[in-house]
Amino acid sequence: MKTLKVQIVEQLNLQQIKPEDIGDDQPLFVEGLALDSIDALELIVLLQQKYGIKLANPADGPQIFKTVRNIAQYITDNRPK
Amino acid sequence: MKPLYINGLSCISPQPTFGAEFPFEAKRYDSNRLSCIEPDYAPYIDPKASRRMGRLLKYGTTVGLQALRDAGVGSPDAISTGTGFGLLDDSGKFLKNVTEAEEGVVSPTAFIQSTHNTVSSNIALTVGCKGHNNTFVNKGFSFESALLDAQMLAEENAAMKNILVGAYDETTDYSYTIMKRLRLIREQEIANLDLLQTPGSGTIAGEGAAFFLLSTEKVDTYAILHGSEILYKPTSTDKVKFKLEAFLSRNKLVLSDIDIVISGLCGDAKRDEMLGNLNDNYFTAQTILGYKHLCGEYMTSSAFALWLGSMIAKTGSIPAETIIRDSHRLTSNILIYNVYKNDHAFVLLSK
Repeated sequence: MKTLKVQIVEQLNLQQIKPEDIGDDQPLFVEGLALDSIDALELIVLLQQKYGIKLANPADGPQIFKTVRNIAQYITDNRPK
Repeated sequence: MKPLYINGLSCISPQPTFGAEFPFEAKRYDSNRLSCIEPDYAPYIDPKASRRMGRLLKYGTTVGLQALRDAGVGSPDAISTGTGFGLLDDSGKFLKNVTEAEEGVVSPTAFIQSTHNTVSSNIALTVGCKGHNNTFVNKGFSFESALLDAQMLAEENAAMKNILVGAYDETTDYSYTIMKRLRLIREQEIANLDLLQTPGSGTIAGEGAAFFLLSTEKVDTYAILHGSEILYKPTSTDKVKFKLEAFLSRNKLVLSDIDIVISGLCGDAKRDEMLGNLNDNYFTAQTILGYKHLCGEYMTSSAFALWLGSMIAKTGSIPAETIIRDSHRLTSNILIYNVYKNDHAFVLLSK
């Protein structure tokens, strides 16, 4: 999860936030980091470029991108072997 | 067409033009590439939004918002801008991403910001302006096209009282390399303040943004903008003189009424030939000022010249480093004569 947080900060250019400041279960959208729809697109790009994972169903996005823990779990479950 | 009043303005350039005293002390660069002096953007742009913005989007938006604040106008009736290349750095990033991802999925941010009208759109979103919003991309005529658009809007629609007009461009590592390869830039490094005294082959690269709140009502005005005229590839100085005299006549002036000519000399001997000839043999009674040694050459540098002219009209002071020939005239009627390659343009303003 530590690497994933570094990648999120880099991909979203979160200038004021350090990776260690992001809690594992902290909400990423609306509250918490208050990310927006463009950030969601950036996270989809991150999953594809860094982990080779294509989001099969965009409707699952809100649940997958809810917290760093959820994203990490999705990567673990869907990473190409 | 009716003149418009410049009631607010702002400029970010390689010189201390943003929020500084006027006349400013010109900054010396020992490089053929001049870059903008960037301010703290926090008072203008939400840090959460600025993390995605490229350099030009930040300084273009900031200048637009400051021109509105300067005029005390919350939201204009229309926005009209000009740019030569738009957000070039983001366009480059987007194309690089496409290549690196082998045309697969790429980051959306650079793509969203790579359009030419991103600055004017961002200003409109920030101040809630839902009116006319146009960006002109017409090489060396981009800014003059925006000025003409504003004058026509005010002429045709009495409800158009406040129009924000501006121009913005940037030089990137990639564009600078291409300009050098095309030999548009001097081969040897030259100090910018020596550029116009030592004509040679090529010029220096620059960038900047300047915005103006043009109004139909006079309120603490910097200068009166009478109009602009464009002239493509004039073949002789006689054609320029004919066009200029007709332009002045439409504004009820003759050449001898002009006090100051802000001349778009760029330091390239070939490109400056016609302007130099006119300065020496036609504008003989006027004070001649230069500006491209201060901001560098780029397609919308005439917006910097309009900022300079407006500040001179308002304060009556002339920055010493701009003076090419001082004829000790008043600062009442100012003609900007810009040349970008084959694109010649006049802008007339007065006190």
